[in-house]
Amino acid sequence: MTTPAAQEFLRRAAEKSADLTHRQIIRRGIEHYDAAFHRGQARFLNWEAARQQCHEIKWEGVNHLDRYLLEFEKRVKERGGHVFWAADAEEARNYVASLAARHGVRRVVKSKSMVTEEIHLSPALEKMGIEVFETDLGEFIVQLRNEPPYHIVTPAMHLTRVQIAALFREKLGDVAGDDPPELVATARRALRRAFFSAEMGITGANFLVADAGLIAITTNEGNARLCVSLPRIHVAVTGIEKVIPRLQDLAVLWPTLATSGTGQAITTYNTLVGGPRRPGEPDGPEEFHVVLLDNGRSELLADVEQRDVLYCIRCGACLNACPVFRNVGGHTYGTTYQGPIGSVLTPHLRGLAEFEHLSYASSLCGACTSVCPVKIELHHHLLHTRRNAVRAGTRPFGERLAFRAWRWAMLGAGRFELFGRVARALLRAAYALGLEGSVLDPMRPWTRNRAAPPIPRASFRELWRKANGRN
Amino acid sequence: MVLARLLLWVYNVEPMPPRVALFIPCFVDQLGPQVGQDMVRVLRRIGCEVDFPQEQTCCGQPAFNTGYWADAAPLAEHFLKVFTSAEVIVCPSGSCTTMVRNFYPELLRGSPLRAEAAALGQRVFEFSEFLVRVANVKDVGACFPHRVTYHDSCHTLRELRLREEPRELLRHVRGLELVEMPCSDECCGFGGTFSTKYGMISAAMGDGKAENIETSQAEFVTATDSSCLMHIEGILRRRKARARTIHLASILAQEAS
Amino acid sequence: MGATENPSRERILERIRAAVQSPAPRQPAAAPDGRAIFSPVGDALERFQSECAANLTECLVTSDNTASAATIEGVLASLPPGELFVQDAPELRRMARAWQAGRGMRWSSEGGPGEASQATLTLAEVLVAATGSILVSASCGGRGASVVAPCHIVLARLEQLVPDLETAMARVYERGTAFRNSFMGLITGSSRTADIEKLLVIGAHGPRRLVVVVQRADE
Repeated sequence: MTTPAAQEFLRRAAEKSADLTHRQIIRRGIEHYDAAFHRGQARFLNWEAARQQCHEIKWEGVNHLDRYLLEFEKRVKERGGHVFWAADAEEARNYVASLAARHGVRRVVKSKSMVTEEIHLSPALEKMGIEVFETDLGEFIVQLRNEPPYHIVTPAMHLTRVQIAALFREKLGDVAGDDPPELVATARRALRRAFFSAEMGITGANFLVADAGLIAITTNEGNARLCVSLPRIHVAVTGIEKVIPRLQDLAVLWPTLATSGTGQAITTYNTLVGGPRRPGEPDGPEEFHVVLLDNGRSELLADVEQRDVLYCIRCGACLNACPVFRNVGGHTYGTTYQGPIGSVLTPHLRGLAEFEHLSYASSLCGACTSVCPVKIELHHHLLHTRRNAVRAGTRPFGERLAFRAWRWAMLGAGRFELFGRVARALLRAAYALGLEGSVLDPMRPWTRNRAAPPIPRASFRELWRKANGRN
Repeated sequence: MVLARLLLWVYNVEPMPPRVALFIPCFVDQLGPQVGQDMVRVLRRIGCEVDFPQEQTCCGQPAFNTGYWADAAPLAEHFLKVFTSAEVIVCPSGSCTTMVRNFYPELLRGSPLRAEAAALGQRVFEFSEFLVRVANVKDVGACFPHRVTYHDSCHTLRELRLREEPRELLRHVRGLELVEMPCSDECCGFGGTFSTKYGMISAAMGDGKAENIETSQAEFVTATDSSCLMHIEGILRRRKARARTIHLASILAQEAS
Repeated sequence: MGATENPSRERILERIRAAVQSPAPRQPAAAPDGRAIFSPVGDALERFQSECAANLTECLVTSDNTASAATIEGVLASLPPGELFVQDAPELRRMARAWQAGRGMRWSSEGGPGEASQATLTLAEVLVAATGSILVSASCGGRGASVVAPCHIVLARLEQLVPDLETAMARVYERGTAFRNSFMGLITGSSRTADIEKLLVIGAHGPRRLVVVVQRADE
């Protein structure tokens, strides 16, 4: 473990792996999801065909990204909207900040957007004295706790109702009991004033529709709908990879996203907006801005092997399927994006050397790949990232040496057998002395966490030769 | 017994199982030889002749999985050399079979040996896959009167796409009561070097698996991979659980006493 | 936006163009078996009604204008007192005359609904049978009309009902609805959240109650 990020990860993972209360809460949440997902999947006549079609739609969009982004931009401008291409987080932040400053914005209402987390937009606006209100309930809760989101789809799944009630009592002062409908009503009351007084609404976008010049935003609560209806200015911050060719594509993308995300047939509010309000429309923003964020995505695009990572529709299914995630939880990763997609994406967005450890913190079980609705080869990419890390020369010296020695030992049957014999003899002697599980145990990295296997006296090949002779 | 089977094949016009070369994973060879011996017993019981090419060492998976492809490639080349003339290769491990069939072509991309690796991959089989799909045998004459639950090893399930084959074999074992545990396809937590690099996560995952085994009330948990079973056994022993692990080959090798 | 106002635009486009010179491989389809993705929709109205029941949309079928007016009046009577926000459309103007003036009304020609609006009443663009959804646009009373008030009532005609999402999206594209409006919204059920312990709660920021009146005949 070399980098500080890797050490922090290890420390948090150890802590969370031992936390049985945390494990129970997450397990219950994921069991709920699993049941809902299976019901949702059963509604499809042909789920595999849905995955294949979503894969092909994203393939088309990402592999012709320039064409579809240009078409999208053209149509948004025809609607009177603005499109800004931001090379990195700083450019994106500055654009939104100067827009807010120009318009004297004091208050912002935000719907859930992982991209705005990625660029740390809220702190930048708050530093300017702007009040930023997260309106998605889960985001609202973690914002009050001063915590990052725990999960890209359900940001507060690590908290119980009792904890949330206590939080609301402390920060909002306005709560009677701790049953969920009351808590939801409390949040609604708290945010109502913000919705009606905010000058700017900031959202993300689930999809950018090229042939219509519209952005698509999905929520169950209706908070994004309010963010794009009431404030004077609407800014959508989105990754460049979100563009899809046709409005028609949503007919399969919306149900598949909903099923993978929450097990629903379709999410309650699927909103399509493009441009400011048109003359004659009763309401809507006077200005509409789309910030297209690169921030490392064009580099990932150039990596043909891992380009499909850009197909991600941020459904969260891979997080829910991952046995590592359900044991360490979302805060252990220390990154904007958690779980398998986070482990694959983060090295590309933030650097291989600092985040390669995330791809090693996996058993490569492949559950993620099997649930991904757009067929990203997630677990194979974890392997590819490991290979890239080794090629970049950032692995610990001891490990490199160990594999060099291992290779030498394995390249000859005679050497292999000799090492095997010596190792077994050593272990048998050590265990005969009762050293199993102790600090002197040669297999300590193993026995720290589980019992050692019995060490056999003879290997298979020795037994074979005895029974069948040498070939 | 063997004669009866030969006659069955003759009358059903089934092809005789060819000469089988044994691919014994390095850790089975050194730490779990019984599994290899049990597989040999079963293969001979159904009428196969078995060979053990003794120059074999390791398929290279540990290095490959840790990202050390330059160190794994020579081992792949060595493997090809050792098994070049084998018609059929059988292996008591889904993960090692996966390494050869699914990953050798990628590991050797750009090498002149790539085509040979791809061809070899078509001739390597995991043990239960060989029995059910190649030899067309589901009943190997085994007897194991115990309550048994099956753990789906990740590579066997998701890379080789074998789910029913091991279960079919178990269903034909006399006296064996096959019960499904909750989430049989959830990873046990072994994951190669992951088991020591991130031991506490690995152990937590193993705990989850152990709980599911306990829920099934099985006396034995079995799988196609000794690596999973070694890890699960280690967890069960620390928990002082009742259940014990046993490799699929070892169950199939048991006969009525 | 000129190049000087957005210097990164060309650079990003250049990087994208260079990258997509080599296409990525596509995943093969898993054993295609010829089955369609979604199960076929039989009787559209029946399907729409059962989907609405599942997603907690109140679906009321009426025979004509008179019946619709009466039905809507009935729904309004069940609501707490307060302002009604109505899409300023000729058929809704006509219908409103028939109701008791016990309730203040605000028309969409005056602006969007406010916090005082207890309920909103709008038309729709399309109804979708397969999912029990209602597609509205800015032409249906604006953006806030379908989300601000605790109750949203939709008046639609049976001929607006289409079998599935594919047909719905094709219709709004081909008829130009997607281009004449700055906003469209697909609504499926009432506002909800499962952010607390994954337990479903109805009525977050949007309407708790969604009522759709499906009128068989045009008159």
